[in-house]
Amino acid sequence: MAVSSVAAPSPPADAAANAPLAERLFPNNEWVLLVVIAVECLVFGMAGHNFATSGNAFEITRLGVEIGLLALALTPIIVTGGIDLSVGSMMGLAAIVLGWLWRDVGLPMPIAVALTLLLGVAGGALNAVLITRLKFPPLIVTLGTLSLFRGIAEGVTGGIQHYSGFPASFLHLGQGYVGGIVPTQLFIFVAAAIAAAWWLHRTSFGRALYAIGHSAEGARYAGIPVSRRVGVVYVLSGLAASLAAVIYVAHLGQAKSDAGTGYELMAITAVVLGGASIFGGRGTVLGTVLGLFSIVLLQNGLRLTGQPAELSGILTGVLLVATIMVDLLSRQTKARPTTTTHSTIATEQDEVRNSQVAVLSAVILAGSLIVAASNWALVKSIRQGAGGGASQVSGTLPDSAGSTAQTANGAKPVVALMPKAKGDPYFISARKGADSAANALHVELLWDGPTDLDPAKQNEVVEAWITRGVNAIAVSVENKEAISTVLRKARQRGIKVVTWDADAEKDARDFFVNQATPQGIGYTLTDEAARIMGGQGEFAIITASLSAANQNEWIKYIRERLKKYPGMTLVAIQPSEGDRDRAFAETQTVLKVHPKVKVVMAIAAPAVPGAAEAVKQSGRTDVKVTGLSLPNMCRPYIKSGVIESIVLWNTMDLGALAVRTAQALTTGELKAGATKLDAGKMGTFEVVGDEVRLGAPFVFNKSNIDNFNF
Amino acid sequence: MNRALAATLGRHKRELPPAAALVAVLLAVLMAAPSFFGASNLRDLALNNASVLIVALGMTLVILVGEIDISVGSQFAVCSVVAGLLSKAGMPIALVPVVVLLVGAAMGAVNGFLVGLLGLPSIIVTLAMLVAWRDALRWATEGAWVQDLPDDFQWFGLAPAAAQTLIVVAAIVVLVLGGWALRNLQVGRSLYAVGSDEEAARLAGIEPRRVVFGVFTVTGALVGLAAVLNAVRFNAVPSNAGLGLELTAVAAVVVGGTAITGGRGTVLGTLIGVLLLGTIGTAMTYVGISPFWAKAIQGLIILAALVADAALARFERHGSVLGRRAVAAR
Repeated sequence: MAVSSVAAPSPPADAAANAPLAERLFPNNEWVLLVVIAVECLVFGMAGHNFATSGNAFEITRLGVEIGLLALALTPIIVTGGIDLSVGSMMGLAAIVLGWLWRDVGLPMPIAVALTLLLGVAGGALNAVLITRLKFPPLIVTLGTLSLFRGIAEGVTGGIQHYSGFPASFLHLGQGYVGGIVPTQLFIFVAAAIAAAWWLHRTSFGRALYAIGHSAEGARYAGIPVSRRVGVVYVLSGLAASLAAVIYVAHLGQAKSDAGTGYELMAITAVVLGGASIFGGRGTVLGTVLGLFSIVLLQNGLRLTGQPAELSGILTGVLLVATIMVDLLSRQTKARPTTTTHSTIATEQDEVRNSQVAVLSAVILAGSLIVAASNWALVKSIRQGAGGGASQVSGTLPDSAGSTAQTANGAKPVVALMPKAKGDPYFISARKGADSAANALHVELLWDGPTDLDPAKQNEVVEAWITRGVNAIAVSVENKEAISTVLRKARQRGIKVVTWDADAEKDARDFFVNQATPQGIGYTLTDEAARIMGGQGEFAIITASLSAANQNEWIKYIRERLKKYPGMTLVAIQPSEGDRDRAFAETQTVLKVHPKVKVVMAIAAPAVPGAAEAVKQSGRTDVKVTGLSLPNMCRPYIKSGVIESIVLWNTMDLGALAVRTAQALTTGELKAGATKLDAGKMGTFEVVGDEVRLGAPFVFNKSNIDNFNF
Repeated sequence: MNRALAATLGRHKRELPPAAALVAVLLAVLMAAPSFFGASNLRDLALNNASVLIVALGMTLVILVGEIDISVGSQFAVCSVVAGLLSKAGMPIALVPVVVLLVGAAMGAVNGFLVGLLGLPSIIVTLAMLVAWRDALRWATEGAWVQDLPDDFQWFGLAPAAAQTLIVVAAIVVLVLGGWALRNLQVGRSLYAVGSDEEAARLAGIEPRRVVFGVFTVTGALVGLAAVLNAVRFNAVPSNAGLGLELTAVAAVVVGGTAITGGRGTVLGTLIGVLLLGTIGTAMTYVGISPFWAKAIQGLIILAALVADAALARFERHGSVLGRRAVAAR
């Protein structure tokens, strides 16, 4: 690589006069992160709602624990010059094994946990053997096990199987408090951090890792058993990943094969932000912890200030590049490296000219200006009371230190609306409806949620809203078991809770805005397919991901309904991962492998146009596409007749009705026992028990498609 | 004749294990489901993998110089959306690929500047870019697709068959040109030099920093080209294109026998890697294996490629696969 080795830890740039203590504490310029954290606290403290409260401080730590454990395990690995990409997948595998041992094997929880940790050790040992015995590059080995672990988890569960209903004593580990305010898992994290720091910085074992990171060959000649030392580090990483999985399961109350997806990148980001060199030989536990908190604070702060979550990705990227650049600059201007193993860097650094330093400074300045400008824009937009909605009229923010309804004294009530995934066109159209309803009802609307399907992120957002203080929360639930605990907590704090699109547990919310039951969807889809193919022949399903809860529920009812049509056979269910191009390729294959298929039923919004394009390009006019999608996306295909029909409800109305229901709860218009809800222009909706009904699913086809625009 | 054959085999011995695996998979499929080799399936496979191949070729260059680029998936998404927006704004379709190529090259140049010229570690820089480009795109589009494209967007306004040929030919041209340049041009050889020993390359009069900058820029341009070739197969552009493309590309390159540490590898190996990973999913459907196991099998292929590579290296060194343990620590 370009920089093939690094000099021994050198003091920070401006620390010439500092006491050695500063050097000892921050050998890798970790003070930069303290500045970042201080700035974040200052900005978010001013702009955010209830950011600077002790409750929030502890909540933030709860959110960081799982990734923090992975980051702690990755620190020694990166110090040795290695990497472990498989930790997130290990979490997924460990999570389902824990659930399986507890529920299906029937082991008591402590033993199940112990065995799960053993599994982590075994997974880590597999990496260790491949890396130290067979001398494979860690990047490639763990790239392979990244696929392997996740693949096994998906394979054995069929993506559908998940485990929940864990005992309360176990859930306390991830959801409970000690002394009413300190999250339980924080103790585990603190203990792990202290142990890691002691091990890495205060034992000869830990020091040996630095020697290995600088030069494995040199370390070997110095009498360090390199393979064994390195192997132990990967085994520990597997252990940490399985421990993180145990906490994750306790936190969400549910074990599924998608646990920890993408966590490896966030953990690596935290470690590198903390001053560790990716080439090895450098890095501290303190740095990692600071790196972790600067990211977690950023995400939490953006939530509480109502800024788009996408900003956090951009800012993290800028922060990452800026940090390593500051580091590089201070190394180049300060102490010239005296001894390096390769001479490349020494020569290049000796050649650093003032002009190059100037360029570097300029780039860093530009980077910090971007950060500063976005912070300024952020504060400004907050002052104007933007809730993220483009159509938001400016006004003053309600004083929502308490979270009781404040409509009486004229302030706008704050309704927070969460989709399953922000980028999904289905939810984007729901947001349009929600925005206009919020305007009409004089409600301040917050719109936030995960960028991709991610139950853990949903919890995080609700936690942030509770801390911020809102009047009502309306959630489209990705995962029932996972979110119910935190929704109950919201209700205890006096926040009205509505679920829409998909329900939580009944006692976790006040009302459910029900657009259509899974049964209704499954039955309507099957009936529609039966109508197209005359009740006879083969059909195939293109689903979202194989572990998508909604789709699997629909498929269950589709199979149930098929009993009514004995002439119909379901020949294949293929995944599309929510990717149009993948749906396209899968449909092409299905059409060739099962040439008798007459109907392709795609049950994820982007999959329907993908399937339709595949049918169109195959020239097969005898095959029709149906499924669940949005009218705009499918319009050209419906008009050309490739798509016979799509089944859906009016998603804009759904978003609007969710806002109306939440608002009616805060004003007291809607109470338990009501039988109808008046929603102005949209009409009156039926209320049955604790459900507000949107009406039956709707079939869009050539004749009515032009009446809809969403 | 035999000697020439032996020389060719010797030169390509790193590609032998994946090639053998590919042949084995294809033979198994031939016996279980011969219809896999139908003309229309082969055409679809070629079209679906053409852009992956182009991205993987860029990745090969990056890995050859000892770096890595995990931001290609996010760059791909940005390029796809830009292609759609340009066409929708009325730019002639012939001009779109050129401009998108430049956009890709610009994004690659950002990586190249930070990695090559400033000397920052590529895995960190491209990790930052992976997150930043993807989130910036999400922020800008809010997930909305680019729809209502002009009629001449799909298939460049040509007949589908002509455009399909064009896409496959473009991928092959990039493949052949890349392979030829790497073997025969001075600039191509300099990639191997930099990847093998940067210091030696510098002393031999090569400017490693410029080579690295160039490689990232070219890779960005290739990603742009791949994005356009993929986008024109449809009449709308989704905003989440290229998710996970970086892992597919890296895996294909490594499975194809290119050393992740740089300096060794060929585009032929990458072609084999793309064919192996790109056909396995479809082959599974043909044979009737549940798609639930696709990821696990992909992981096994990567690990198997590694084991084969190590066995080969040992065979060379000791004349036997089970020779005494390697001396070097790493």
